[in-house]
Amino acid sequence: MVIAGLAVTVLGFIISLASLTLSASAGGRLGIVLAGLAISLFGIIGLINKAYLKNPIWKK
Amino acid sequence: MKKLLLSISTVWLLAGITLAQTPPPPALTTAAPAIGAAAATTPAPIAITDQDLKSVEPPKADVRAKGDPDGNLTGNVSDIAVSDSKKGLSVADVLNQIGQNKIGINFTWALICGFLIMFMQAGFAIVEAGLCRAKNANHTMMMNFMVYAIGMFAFWIIGFPLQMGGVGGIGNLGGSPVLNGEHVVQIFGKPFGIFGTKGLFLMKDGTYDVSVMLVFLFQMVFMDTALTIVTGTAAERWKYTAFCVSSFVMGAFTYPIFANWAWGGGWLANLGANFGLGKGYCDFAGSGVVHSVGGLTALAMGIIIGPRIGKFSRSGKPNVIQGHDITMVLTGCFILIFGWFGFNPGSTLGASGSGNLRIASVAVNTMLAGTTGAFGAMFYMWMRYGKPDASMSGNGLLAGLVAITAPCGFVNPVASAIIGLVAGVLVCLSVEFVERVMRVDDPVGAISVHGANGLWGVIALGLFADGKSNYGGSWNGVNGSVTGAFYGDTGQLVAQLIGVTALIGFVFTTSFILNWLIDVFVGQRSSAKAELEGLDLPEMGALGYPEFELKPSTTSHGI
Repeated sequence: MVIAGLAVTVLGFIISLASLTLSASAGGRLGIVLAGLAISLFGIIGLINKAYLKNPIWKK
Repeated sequence: MKKLLLSISTVWLLAGITLAQTPPPPALTTAAPAIGAAAATTPAPIAITDQDLKSVEPPKADVRAKGDPDGNLTGNVSDIAVSDSKKGLSVADVLNQIGQNKIGINFTWALICGFLIMFMQAGFAIVEAGLCRAKNANHTMMMNFMVYAIGMFAFWIIGFPLQMGGVGGIGNLGGSPVLNGEHVVQIFGKPFGIFGTKGLFLMKDGTYDVSVMLVFLFQMVFMDTALTIVTGTAAERWKYTAFCVSSFVMGAFTYPIFANWAWGGGWLANLGANFGLGKGYCDFAGSGVVHSVGGLTALAMGIIIGPRIGKFSRSGKPNVIQGHDITMVLTGCFILIFGWFGFNPGSTLGASGSGNLRIASVAVNTMLAGTTGAFGAMFYMWMRYGKPDASMSGNGLLAGLVAITAPCGFVNPVASAIIGLVAGVLVCLSVEFVERVMRVDDPVGAISVHGANGLWGVIALGLFADGKSNYGGSWNGVNGSVTGAFYGDTGQLVAQLIGVTALIGFVFTTSFILNWLIDVFVGQRSSAKAELEGLDLPEMGALGYPEFELKPSTTSHGI
């Protein structure tokens, strides 16, 4: 789960980088970059952090 | 009271947004009448020769012997260095002196600002120590003290060449061309600078050079600021050995690589030149490069190291763990405001020429954003919890300063006030989110102050830059002034957002992997026994307050 989260976080970055070649307009690039940003945030909050919350110190 | 505060804030915010976007008044259609005929003609240039300079004499010895109480005699023609004593003073000597005076002013400005930034370490140290419990005071202060030495050493032997080794000549500092090695790869058919290669030990390839030394000092204190952010999040449970290794790795690799992309001639700075996105990724003084890098590394550390014992009850409900000295916290905030005048205005790297007098505007923007940040946090806490919380007001001030750090050189005062106000509220919301939703324990709020607001500052630049700044006519190699989306350039906002995804996608993941490896091989966390006892004795061998009797339990539910 943590590794998947790291991969998704990097994927979001790669998608935003790909906007440079996927679209020539500022609006198109803006949309792709925002999508990449959302994916990266999901990787951190939804996957990596969640994996660490499965067995937290306060439940031990 | 809550309704009154809410309505005042709303009206103020709306008025501010309108003012910030108000276009300048139209130019007068009729030219102002010339005052006399002479004003309409340009005087013919007068050639000055070496012979003319012979008639300029220093004050007579008998006059000089009487002293100079009004300061009109000290500093004159005799102070200009003469290159050939037989020929005497020449025009070339005068011009060289003028050039050196300009660079001398810039050197002095940048060095003094660098010293101010260095002093910020003291501010961070006492803010963090004040927000931690007394039983960890020695450990927290020692981390903040030694991070300066560890970071500087790592930066000297590895980090500086990676960051600035390919930056090229910096005009404000004399344009020395020796830092000219950037490792470049081709992506999408364009050159992407990844890291620099010159400047190893400040000795090789001609980098034993006065302007390189200045660049090193200034960049080193920025780097150390980023490193010290992490100590706040991991405080009260970070094993000292792991702290040393982690700080070294961050100062040597993580920070310098991103800083190269933004400031060292790397690919982010060239998004404008290569892909037509505004002036490329812009970050005047480091909301992204310094604060987001520190804040996102702190987030990675906070997740890996886990919360302090007693921070969350078994149901996952967060408990309040009070710091031990609010006086230290707010005094530290004052020191940090003072240091920030080195951080932001100093980032012009000069005070003379190339639009550098805008340092006054940068300084005012910095003050305003800090002020409105403190207001935003204070009013938010007052409305939500009924009291104007002192530590969160301090964090609001820091959040405003963090957020204005990237845009301070490109925005107007009203925009600065709005950016700071948003930052002050954002830091409160982010602290609640990090603690209640993510359940990451951050004793000082560093993730929210530096991480969240660093990212907000980077985005704010892409929105509010008003196109009025002019630092020599171009920025990142693109002609014109930096202009945000609210003033017509959406491309600039896209460049900023790509910077944000690079921070999250590269800096966070790299920091996470490196700190996870340190956790595996060294262990990031102190033992539970040491944590409960307080880290001062188990980790440092001495108490911060040896003459005080410390209570064993300080959390809201008695652990």
